[in-house]
Amino acid sequence: MNIKKISRYCIIILAIAAMSYSLPIGFDKVFGQKIGNPLLFFSPVLEQFVYRESLGGHQFNYKDEDGNSYNRAEFEALLPFLYFRNLERKKLLPVTVSGQSFNAEAIKAGKQGFETKSRHLDGHHQQIDLYPLFNNNPEVAIMPFPEDVFRFTYGAMEFVNADYNKLDMVLTGRFTDALKKLDFNFPATVVGGKTTNLKPFDEGFFIRDSSGVVFHVKRVLDKPLIVRTPIDPALDIQDIVISENRRKEFYGTIFTRQGGLHLISYDNYRLIPLPVDNYRPKDMDFTLLINPLYKTVIVGGPLKVYGTAMDTDYNIISTFELKRYNPNPPLFKFARDLLFPVQISFENPYRGHADPQLKFGGLWSFAGIFMALAAFFLMPGKQSKIPAREGIKERLISNKGDFALVLTTGFFGLIAIAFIGKD
Amino acid sequence: MQRYFIAAMVVNFAICIKIFFGIRQQLRAEHAEMVWYQAIHLHSVLYDSIQHLPLLTGLTLAAAQFIPEMLGGRLRISLHLPMKRDIMLLYSIICGLLLYLAVCVMNLLMIGMTMRMYFPMEVAATVLPTMAPWILAGLLAYLGSITVLLEPSWPRRIFILIVFAILAYMLFTGIGYSWFAPALCLLMLLVPLSLLTVFESGRRFQEKGGS
Repeated sequence: MNIKKISRYCIIILAIAAMSYSLPIGFDKVFGQKIGNPLLFFSPVLEQFVYRESLGGHQFNYKDEDGNSYNRAEFEALLPFLYFRNLERKKLLPVTVSGQSFNAEAIKAGKQGFETKSRHLDGHHQQIDLYPLFNNNPEVAIMPFPEDVFRFTYGAMEFVNADYNKLDMVLTGRFTDALKKLDFNFPATVVGGKTTNLKPFDEGFFIRDSSGVVFHVKRVLDKPLIVRTPIDPALDIQDIVISENRRKEFYGTIFTRQGGLHLISYDNYRLIPLPVDNYRPKDMDFTLLINPLYKTVIVGGPLKVYGTAMDTDYNIISTFELKRYNPNPPLFKFARDLLFPVQISFENPYRGHADPQLKFGGLWSFAGIFMALAAFFLMPGKQSKIPAREGIKERLISNKGDFALVLTTGFFGLIAIAFIGKD
Repeated sequence: MQRYFIAAMVVNFAICIKIFFGIRQQLRAEHAEMVWYQAIHLHSVLYDSIQHLPLLTGLTLAAAQFIPEMLGGRLRISLHLPMKRDIMLLYSIICGLLLYLAVCVMNLLMIGMTMRMYFPMEVAATVLPTMAPWILAGLLAYLGSITVLLEPSWPRRIFILIVFAILAYMLFTGIGYSWFAPALCLLMLLVPLSLLTVFESGRRFQEKGGS
């Protein structure tokens, strides 16, 4: 192949890349409709799941498991713990649910929400491994941001001072020595903690060493307070997300690579396994909703949302799965598949960084490719020495490279060849 | 060309200096740890004012290198020299690319040193993967401009212009630091493809008797 041919194919390939990136995005923006995630809750009134799904254009469906529809006010009445502030304003508290009476204080004390999106999990976004370890001072009400950040190296827990951009040797020595005394194996493999001071109190960081042991590291008056936890080192932990909630039932959640979910309880770090089978950390968001009567885990992926309702001891009461509503008509998918057999994409809602993917269209893409091929054979070739009356075989042999491009990329290849010219 | 290259160096240098003083000022005005927090955990790119500068530099260098040659008819004369057209074009492009890369290396060094001066090594290390797509966009702008300028047919010229504009736009869609890092190897494929694209337009320029 000479440079002329190579150069020509290069511009065609670039054109196909540009079209397969931009045209599907443009098509979705013009003809497609994006809707929010469905909201799934376990109603303590009905003792079954209820949900709100978006239909697009600020239209919502409020339904229960059996398919009964509700208006917004009725829906809110099914979730008194979630919308208790509205009840409070309407002076409808205390409210009686399952024979028990709850006032605002009782509801507030028994409520907790904990959400972790897949894109925030370790390995699903770009993260600089430097963290602020808040200094707990019992005599100070507010939580000042520490003047340093810490990192783990192969031999130390290093603190770097932000004012001087230099290692703080004193803090580094203190924390490294304390960890070594507890047989910490450097470096750390998972570092989990909340890096904001917008929280009611600080629980420091949960750090997994290279042998799998999890350590609880806190800083109190610039001194290390470290606990070697009994958490099973065999757990293949992907991330540890800390909650720091006033209920103080659990420190946070351990996410394993296999989809295991474990709460780290305040009871000597005993793990509470959440009985959820459908969770896939790679493309599912996780929510734990707690109210005075029930605990509900909601895990939502690209196609379905799964709900698991549990009693206060995390025993399953009910499960439910909800298929996500697709607001786009079948014609939308048909046209999309027909026109775009392949798409280059960098965006992934479950990743906080570029996720390069080659997405292929559905079955209708073959029809689109067939139409593009038909147009390709009808297209006049300026430089073609094969007359139009010659058979398809001769035309195919003379244009086999172009034919292969149209065969694999459909209208993208056809448009590129139409502008650049046949070989 | 020499004047435009010096002008590009000066403008890029000035923006890098502006970024240096901007970061220094921010660290003096605010608590350093809060600026670190923004840079590390809130994914603020403190040097994003340089984002589109490589693109402008690439466009400027391509225009400065080829427009005077084409307007004066000198390129047509050059194509009749006893040297293969593609080799001559390649030499021209390598010269332009070296100048472009010199500007980018200066930017990378200055921004990298600024970040290293005020932030830990981990933060400074994100400068390269963060700026690489912007530099790549400038490279595509340089090579795409040459292809468009050499192309004698208007429909093809507009089509090629749109193709390169989309590809360059795509490289600015990242959010925060190192967003494109997992795709950089793949994106680097655009460089040889864009480079080779120039030769077809060069051939057509010569064969269609461009000025």
